[in-house]
Amino acid sequence: MIAGVRASVVSSGAVLVLVLAGCAGDAKRAGAPADEWFTDRAEQTGLDFVHFNGATGQFYYPEILPPGVALFDYDNDGDLDIYLVQGRMLGPQNDPRAALPPSRGALRGGHAEAFAKAGIPPHDSKPLIGRLFRNDLSVRADGTRVLHFTDVTEESGINANQYGLGVATADVDNDGWIDLLLTNFGTSQLFHNNGDGTFSDASARSGIQGEPGVAVSAAFLDYDRDGWLDLYVGYNVNYSLANEQKCPNQAGARDYCPPQIYGGRPDRLYRNVGGGTFVDVSAQTLIGGKFGPALGVVAADFNGDGWIDIYVANDGEPNLLWMNQRDGTFKDTALVAGAALTAEGKAEASMGVDAGDVDGDGDEDLVMTELTGQGFNLYVNDGSGNFRDASAASSLAALSLPYTGWGAAWFDFDNDGWLDVLSVNGPIVANEANDGRGTEPFPYDQRKLLLRNLGNGRFENVTGKAGAVFTLSEAGRGAAFGDIDNDGDVDVLVGNDNGRVRLLVNNVGNQNHWVGMRLVGQQGRDMLGARVAVRRGGHPTLWRRVRSDGSYASANDPRVLVGLGSSAEKPAVQVRWPSGKLEEWSDIAIDRWITLKEGSGT
Amino acid sequence: MKTRASSRVTASLFVCALGAAACTARTDAGSSGTLLRVSLPDLSKMTPSVQKQIRDADASLSAANANPRASIATLADAYGAMGKLLMAADYLDAAGPCFRNARMLASGDHRWPYYLAHLYRKRGDVDTARTFFEEALQRHPDDVDALVWLGDVALAQGRPDEAEPRFSKALTLEPTSLSSRFGLGRVALAKQDYRGAVSHLEEVLARDPEAAGAHYPLGMAYRGLGDLTKAEAHLRLRKDREILPADPLMVDLEEVLESPQAYESRGIRALNKEKWPEAAALFRKGLELAPDSAALRHRLGTVKFMIGDVAGAQAEFEQVVRASPDYFLAQYSLGVILQDKGRHAEANERFSAALRDRPSYTEARLRLATGLRRVGRARESLPHYAQILAVDANLTGARFGRAMALVQLGRYRDARDLLLADMRAYPEQPVFAHGLARVLAAAPDEHVRDGERALALVEDLLTREQRTLDLGETMAMALAAAMRFEEAAKVQRDLMRGAGNGGLQHVVRRLAANLDLYERGQPCRTPWPAGEIP
Repeated sequence: MIAGVRASVVSSGAVLVLVLAGCAGDAKRAGAPADEWFTDRAEQTGLDFVHFNGATGQFYYPEILPPGVALFDYDNDGDLDIYLVQGRMLGPQNDPRAALPPSRGALRGGHAEAFAKAGIPPHDSKPLIGRLFRNDLSVRADGTRVLHFTDVTEESGINANQYGLGVATADVDNDGWIDLLLTNFGTSQLFHNNGDGTFSDASARSGIQGEPGVAVSAAFLDYDRDGWLDLYVGYNVNYSLANEQKCPNQAGARDYCPPQIYGGRPDRLYRNVGGGTFVDVSAQTLIGGKFGPALGVVAADFNGDGWIDIYVANDGEPNLLWMNQRDGTFKDTALVAGAALTAEGKAEASMGVDAGDVDGDGDEDLVMTELTGQGFNLYVNDGSGNFRDASAASSLAALSLPYTGWGAAWFDFDNDGWLDVLSVNGPIVANEANDGRGTEPFPYDQRKLLLRNLGNGRFENVTGKAGAVFTLSEAGRGAAFGDIDNDGDVDVLVGNDNGRVRLLVNNVGNQNHWVGMRLVGQQGRDMLGARVAVRRGGHPTLWRRVRSDGSYASANDPRVLVGLGSSAEKPAVQVRWPSGKLEEWSDIAIDRWITLKEGSGT
Repeated sequence: MKTRASSRVTASLFVCALGAAACTARTDAGSSGTLLRVSLPDLSKMTPSVQKQIRDADASLSAANANPRASIATLADAYGAMGKLLMAADYLDAAGPCFRNARMLASGDHRWPYYLAHLYRKRGDVDTARTFFEEALQRHPDDVDALVWLGDVALAQGRPDEAEPRFSKALTLEPTSLSSRFGLGRVALAKQDYRGAVSHLEEVLARDPEAAGAHYPLGMAYRGLGDLTKAEAHLRLRKDREILPADPLMVDLEEVLESPQAYESRGIRALNKEKWPEAAALFRKGLELAPDSAALRHRLGTVKFMIGDVAGAQAEFEQVVRASPDYFLAQYSLGVILQDKGRHAEANERFSAALRDRPSYTEARLRLATGLRRVGRARESLPHYAQILAVDANLTGARFGRAMALVQLGRYRDARDLLLADMRAYPEQPVFAHGLARVLAAAPDEHVRDGERALALVEDLLTREQRTLDLGETMAMALAAAMRFEEAAKVQRDLMRGAGNGGLQHVVRRLAANLDLYERGQPCRTPWPAGEIP
């Protein structure tokens, strides 16, 4: 349900174009502090959700991992809706009153004390399941955007009744409606979008459930170019409640175990044989790789051969680069490609991951978030799928050393044409109580980090200017990136472990010009993996990718938003579809969202 | 939370009077030169031995604070000792003020800024770490460790030009310093000076072939030069083995904590460096504090196994499984020893016990599957292989074991097909080609046998693999299968001579049986004798 939507046609003719009102320098949202770049508007917009991880002091391993979050337009009304992963109690203690209360920052005013005293999670009247929020965006006559979310979980039929960890989104049956995959501590669940606001549980018939395990991040990709989206699921560890181990620190105080205690578990590749029915083809396709504890997954064409490859961020073990062999199989080339380890040859604790053209040379570079003291990694692609560790040279590592990063992405927050990085953070060992946070029930919090790409191969830390929400210390995990208010800049949805969800609305991006595109196939589904080149005279070409994967355990806006800086010139756009086919459009309208349909270009 | 404010304002002022420079430095303990308050972490969650250590250190600090005749050096040492203890226990927030106080009190002592530098490095605050390393260097000029770490910090900040003179000076001061030369190699790599990187990193490995941490950057340097053969060779040799300075101060800090966990961690570090006696001693110390620790006793058993004391290892493992039958690692380790001794039935019980507690323990399942084959229960091994491969299809040991189980069951056609598929999927693993050659050369099933193909496989293996008795025997089988009996017999006689010279009389006897066949113009129809299927 949106207001201010009007149909239009761009000059190239046969392109279906949905233009959503929004332009550079548009009136900003009511109530946004003038000088902050991002404002948390979750609570104000009805996004009333607090994640509950069920922690009771037993340090069950899965408690430290969630939650993922998703931005996807489930009702095809042109704006992004939200799915939020939820936890539950683990172990024999099944009474939520035994659980640690949510983080202090998660609770509102008068409720805080009551919740803390009762020791129960919020939403006491609602079952502890993942929640779907419908975006009821409207645009007033003066251009002001009014965001409002409505919890539609019950009527949607989504019964996410397992211990949720992550989420991935894609239209798996090419019916034009985006479906929902949930990764769990348990078996994965697939909810088929019926196109009428409801979902059906297709977990069993889809063939993606697999053995119970700890699946965190997943990516949809069409690896065999058959027009159906296949699925890669990253598995973290060989864990069950029965084999929970005790991991004291050096002084004997107990904390969460590292993944190596349980060992990695092989990931899974499911081939979509049509209609959203999947077959596990891991044994035949993922040959020779040494699986590790996967936490992040991103699919992209890393060597420019037109076939989608897969990169897997492993926690504490070498990362994997599954290069598509174009014959239905993959080969892990990460070690020789320089993408498995840091420049020193260390396997770091990679968690979040994203691929994007950070240096504007037309190929997919990698960013990974890591533990405190390790620094985030930037692996720069030479175009052939070989990488150079530029973490130190770019200053990305030094700027991120104090943080344990989870969800993160390449995104151009200020629409200057260069991809920046935002990470949500939280340590995996308890903060010391000496800094006055001794009363924090789940003391695994850190602040968020925003790094701006200077366009010269280096980054600067601009967190201090980013807004008050960046001063909150929280246990950040999932982060999904997308234009939630269709105003031409990228907003960020953040999931906090045992804490309140945050919606970081971007107040500054659309002060520059932009072009926003939804790229759909003949059946109307988002063409994940399509590459977009935005060309303008006198400016370098800007390359982006249609994706919903990357970050950590989360699903991003599949639309492509490209910042154009101060240039108002209408660009030409070239798209390389996952099938390998090339198409072009000229004189693309700027400062509005349009839809490019496969087959409608030249 | 217990806190300790300075009770010695007069002492602080006295310190400031003595050490004015320290009191006005940007990183002073307190802005006015006063001592910082020390807050202790929650001791209740710690192991008793550590609680006692911290309480003792606190008592010493109190005593020094309360004693007006205690020297400033004594007070500084008391703060420093507390800081070391807290830092070793990973309570960095609590350790910081201790070191800052010590640093302020003892303005000539390089240890305290040095520890502060490491503390901030661990926290990821490299700017502050650099400041303190520089201060440590001022207090103790020509300190190689501080120079190396300053170089390391500069590299982490993307400043190779700044790192280079640090490493160079360290190398000048200590020409044998591997960490300095390694640093110079990393500097060259960061500058994309691949020749320079190769030169330094090859030198590191020439001086210490065990410095396996140099292989990865060296591989990357060769890749930069376009020499992919050398690049891949070095990349595959890489290990997680850091090349660090000697760092006696940090070694001292690592040894300060007395807890079962700390001894276990130190023991594991020694184990990884293959310092077996040191590792055993550390695990024993841990066991003194926690005699019932299954983990420590299992590790002690592991060390004994590594130094060849199999009986001692077995005794340790048996003690663990008696006291903690759910400790699956000890069940597994005991199983390995029993399997190596040929006590397969007992070993299988141990592996089964490990799997009862940890059904996902792939190594145990693989051993159990092998063990079942060894006692003639090949059919029962197949579901185990299937289970392993369903989880990880790339476990080549399971793939080969499954094929051998089929051989044992006389299902040669199935075995051939699997070996062929695996050979194609894993060309770098010669075991599949060799196994396939055997099956093709000597399977009783004539629809499976293909001497010419077997011979081609063996000839290919001989060009790239070491010549072994096994491979020679397969060669002879393949020649015989191709009806080239004279050549087969000649190869067989050569093998027998080699085995005889090596004192392998049982092998000679086995080879003689096939030689007899070849001399009579008959091929071999048994790929592996019963009981010798790999």
